[in-house]
Amino acid sequence: MATPVSTSATPRPSEGICTIGPRIAIRGNISGEEDLVIEGRVEGSVSLSGHLVVAPGAVVEADIEVDSVDVHGQVDGDIVATTAITLHESARVGGNLRAPRVVLSDGAQFKGSVEMDVQLPGGLNRQPRR
Amino acid sequence: MATTVIGSSIVIDGEISGEEQLIVHGTVKGRIVVRDALVVENGGLVEATVESASITVNGTIHGDIAASERAELRPSCTVVGDIRAPRILIADGASFKGNVDMGG
Repeated sequence: MATPVSTSATPRPSEGICTIGPRIAIRGNISGEEDLVIEGRVEGSVSLSGHLVVAPGAVVEADIEVDSVDVHGQVDGDIVATTAITLHESARVGGNLRAPRVVLSDGAQFKGSVEMDVQLPGGLNRQPRR
Repeated sequence: MATTVIGSSIVIDGEISGEEQLIVHGTVKGRIVVRDALVVENGGLVEATVESASITVNGTIHGDIAASERAELRPSCTVVGDIRAPRILIADGASFKGNVDMGG
């Protein structure tokens, strides 16, 4: 089940991949329905129904809601993905991750909680008593 | 030169600043300050104050434009706002409403 995260099936817009370059800073909210590559700095929130790549050197101080995300850079904020979150070896992430599939590569730095859809075997599915 | 592209389905509400070329196919509300060049492509919608060295508009800008070198309004564009630049080009077919200040 360790298949790499495939890019989403959203059609590529004719102008190519939407990219926030390394010398660009955005403060505010980004939303959209296509794939996005962040190489620069983003503060605020990111909400996409596509695939997000946080490139090496990128700094994202934002809550992220995407279909799937590959993190190579730095993220401070919570990440929610509908399919998968992958933290690669150069990633530095502080926040909570929620997705059906979460991959932490060797070398990735992460502080926070992880929440996957856990199907416990029968009998263990009850809420633990406090 | 590094280029940042805001895709056609992307909406940014806030401030974009930086030191490279910015191409907008989508929607930006707020403020844009980029050093080198700003291009608002056909279909791009900018409701923002924009500042750059060179500004080219094929789409729509609703807001004030300040270019330190040149501002060019292409035939397909719609611009509502004031333009301040030493060189301003308004092509035949462009829609524009606002003041022009060439600093003369």
